[in-house]
Amino acid sequence: MAKEESALKVIIVLVVISFASAFLLAYVNQVTSGPIEENKKAETKKAIGIVLNTISDYKCQEIPEETEIDDSPVRYFPAKSTDGKIVGYAIIVKGPNGFSNDFDMMVGMDSSGTIIDTYVLDHKETPGLGDGMTKEKFKKQFRGKNLENTKWSVKKDGGDIDALTAATITSRAFTAGVKRALLVFKKLKEGINA
Amino acid sequence: MKIIEKFKKTFFTENPVTGLLLGLCPTLAVTSSAKNGIGMGLATAFVLTGSNLVISMLKNIIPNKVRIPAFIVVIATFVTIVDMSLQATMFELHKTLGLFIPLIVVNCIILGRAEAFASKNNVWDSFIDGIANGLGFTFALFILGSIREILGSGSVLGFRFWPEEYRTILVFVLAPGAFLTLGFMLVGMNKISKLLQGGK
Repeated sequence: MAKEESALKVIIVLVVISFASAFLLAYVNQVTSGPIEENKKAETKKAIGIVLNTISDYKCQEIPEETEIDDSPVRYFPAKSTDGKIVGYAIIVKGPNGFSNDFDMMVGMDSSGTIIDTYVLDHKETPGLGDGMTKEKFKKQFRGKNLENTKWSVKKDGGDIDALTAATITSRAFTAGVKRALLVFKKLKEGINA
Repeated sequence: MKIIEKFKKTFFTENPVTGLLLGLCPTLAVTSSAKNGIGMGLATAFVLTGSNLVISMLKNIIPNKVRIPAFIVVIATFVTIVDMSLQATMFELHKTLGLFIPLIVVNCIILGRAEAFASKNNVWDSFIDGIANGLGFTFALFILGSIREILGSGSVLGFRFWPEEYRTILVFVLAPGAFLTLGFMLVGMNKISKLLQGGK
């Protein structure tokens, strides 16, 4: 290996290796992209099932509608009963400024804007601290609340929400995310009535 | 027999983490729970075995001047394969490890083994070396993750040591806890290594 190689050989070898790896990756991508899509869809479906768990008979479209609030894009799934009336919404918002970046969460509410349940789709919060937001103990306080009957900030900031122990930043982000979803609902409602 | 010796070496005396202090960045970052440690360890082990295998096969073709770029391309290919297949098969695990997987590319254990071992040895030995080092790395991450999870959240792999209401030492799941635990673990592992060597 110590002998001097010609520049041509160096170039050819590197090019061949890169091409081989590119072809291999293209193949793996082709094989896995289907299941990955499926997984993402299944995850969304599962999330909708959780956040709209008290509504018994509804249909949801597969592709979400889009809107935005505070310059942040929002996706939402209107849940319709069999006669086409909207009975609830599953709204995907970003929890802004989490401990490690924003996180995606889904908030489900009925047609009056009362929260049914919440679900965190994708987050990078600290395991053992911030990920307590996915646990029952924290989640249950949001159920049955709406935009008007609650002060939407954590108790430390003068609001009504019990923050997670040692994860105030996560709790703030979560609370802000829920509030965002409620504002989206308000916007949608006004849009319908207008 | 040689294989057993090799494993003993990579698990204790020359463990990539506790013996050679390589790959500390992922070690400290992902071990906030035992499950994350195992997941990251196994993903790394797979990449390490694959890259060792391929590099030892190509060792006579790759010109010396460009061996590092060539190694990195091979390693990055394996990492991307792991990333995509994990996402396709183990979506939940990928959600927790997602951020760290691309970082396996720059894990110096892998490049280190490619440079120090696979580029000088035959295919079979490199294959064994990859598995041994990968599992040694997994072992270290698992121990570190378990200690941190037990002290920091009171459970390990879903098994609770004390009720959820009890206070735990939160600092252990945060970054400083990683350094503290690693320090004590090094002490312990050095002791074990000494005993193993003395026993020979």
